[in-house]
Amino acid sequence: MLFVIVSGLATGALFAATALVYNVMFSTSKVLSVTTGHIPMLGGVFGAYAISGLGLPWWLGLFTGVAVGALFGWLTDVVAIRRVLARSDEHLWLLSTLAVATMIQQAVGLWWGTEPRPFPRLIPQDFTAGLADQKFWLPVALAVVMAVGLELFYSRTMYGKLFVAMSEDAFAARARGVSTDRIRVASYVLAGALGGLTGFAAGQLTFAYFALGMTLTLNGFIALAVGGLGSNTGALIGGFALGLLNTFASYFFGGEYQQTIAVGLLMVVLLVRPEGLLGSRNVRPV
Amino acid sequence: MDTKRFAVSVVFAIAALTLPLWAGDQYQLHLATLIAAYWVLIGGLNLVIGYSGQLSIGHVGLLSIGAYAFAILAGKAGVHPALAVAGAGALCGFAGLVLGLPSLRLPGFYFAMATMAVSLIVGEFVLAQGELTGGGIGLAVPGFPAPFDTPAGFYYLVAAAAAVVTWLTWNVARRMQGRGLIAIRDSVVTAQAVGVPVFRAKLVAFLFSGVAAGVGGALFASLQSYITPDTFHFELSMFFFVCIIIGGRGSILGPFIGVVVLTALPELVSPLAKLGNFFYGLLLLLVVLVVPEGIGRLFEVLAERLRPRKLESVPVRPDLPRLARAIREGR
Repeated sequence: MLFVIVSGLATGALFAATALVYNVMFSTSKVLSVTTGHIPMLGGVFGAYAISGLGLPWWLGLFTGVAVGALFGWLTDVVAIRRVLARSDEHLWLLSTLAVATMIQQAVGLWWGTEPRPFPRLIPQDFTAGLADQKFWLPVALAVVMAVGLELFYSRTMYGKLFVAMSEDAFAARARGVSTDRIRVASYVLAGALGGLTGFAAGQLTFAYFALGMTLTLNGFIALAVGGLGSNTGALIGGFALGLLNTFASYFFGGEYQQTIAVGLLMVVLLVRPEGLLGSRNVRPV
Repeated sequence: MDTKRFAVSVVFAIAALTLPLWAGDQYQLHLATLIAAYWVLIGGLNLVIGYSGQLSIGHVGLLSIGAYAFAILAGKAGVHPALAVAGAGALCGFAGLVLGLPSLRLPGFYFAMATMAVSLIVGEFVLAQGELTGGGIGLAVPGFPAPFDTPAGFYYLVAAAAAVVTWLTWNVARRMQGRGLIAIRDSVVTAQAVGVPVFRAKLVAFLFSGVAAGVGGALFASLQSYITPDTFHFELSMFFFVCIIIGGRGSILGPFIGVVVLTALPELVSPLAKLGNFFYGLLLLLVVLVVPEGIGRLFEVLAERLRPRKLESVPVRPDLPRLARAIREGR
């Protein structure tokens, strides 16, 4: 039973971290990018490639994963967001990020292969460690550190305050002389780096697998919608709740109905509290 | 209808009717049947994506429900195939209703994610209910009785279904319902303000697309003659979606050209087949960035760019004598 809880927390941490990445991009651009789940996938795949394939030490692998994630975040902004946001059609960003997500998934699939490959051990540890295994506590630690770090970043630093200003009212921020375009690019690069870090830390849990992206995009989004869009604490709560629910459901009913239960949770929360547990109620735009 | 368009439709109809006679080999006929089966689904989906602007990226879930319903009804239960097609359509219509009731209330991205989740859920169920669906091994699907048991006969059957779907969507699109759906796509608030029953209109369109997906799935399964969960991978969903978007939203001809080109192109140019989804993604990105109106309207857009409409200049000429008189009279 303890094992179920621990592995649930670890998966939940992965979802929570993905939800945080969603939040970073959403705060400045009001875009929920379909590519969000693919950033951790890239972090995992390139981390594994750098360590196992090229034989680099773990810190260089970490650097590779984070750098590729950040690069992909930047690329997403340049290719799929920048030109589309200039137009006012609200659906276009969904299409363009979906296109980028599909391309990157297929490209990685062609290059890396379609089978999941093992992710190397980061810290020397025996495989019989059981509950104390690093594949469980690395993602959990990362998700908590990431949430705390983001909160500190938002409340203590100048750039963080600019992010908050933009998320509250982009036009007003622009009128006050904030270079909103530059802040948005910065947020995408930051999201990419955090996503790459997530994928790297959770690599031993998920393996380096090209099709991880869509699953994470969906589950991270469910965690975010349950916790409340825009709230970092909500993302943590939603992620852990979803992860625990997933593993408990597999423990009691078998692993076949994981997705069904996750979506069931989403539907129940959306019906009872459409803005999520900690989200703010949206004013209806007219 | 103007004569030019009428002539084109007649030529197309004759070409479609005589296709089994001039098709080079069995494989080309198979491709044509496949296009028609896809079109049964895409024609219905077009009302949802192209007209009402609800981005459903998980229609492959409904397709697979239809396919499995047909395979189980006609193959295992021994129901007559025609009845099984009707059953598959009815079941998928019901599934569309159940899916649409909660999810159509959600805003764009939420709806897309919900439909994507449903396609994953259906895959999970198919694998979990192995006794009914054959699990990962799959299920053999029976064909249709004579005269539809030959490739040519089956082609006519599927083409007829595709024609019926086209006719139905065309009827919806050009009348009040279709206008209402377009209004919903362009601005929900405006549509509400002018009295379009937003939720009901979306739900009806989604229900119709569900029935079409069920019938399309049944025909698709019978054409493939063996289905496994891998037949209904998520890429197929992307394919339907991309066909409509690149063809152009708010038209019927555009998505049709899209499905014909996108089905035939990877077969003719083999390197594209290897790239598969990458190619679809690239096309989607190009269309979104360069011609958001869709390739179907490419020529109109190009013409607009090359020959910008001259703005009529309406000079204002004040009636000077009258003005002078008014000033002189001190008014």
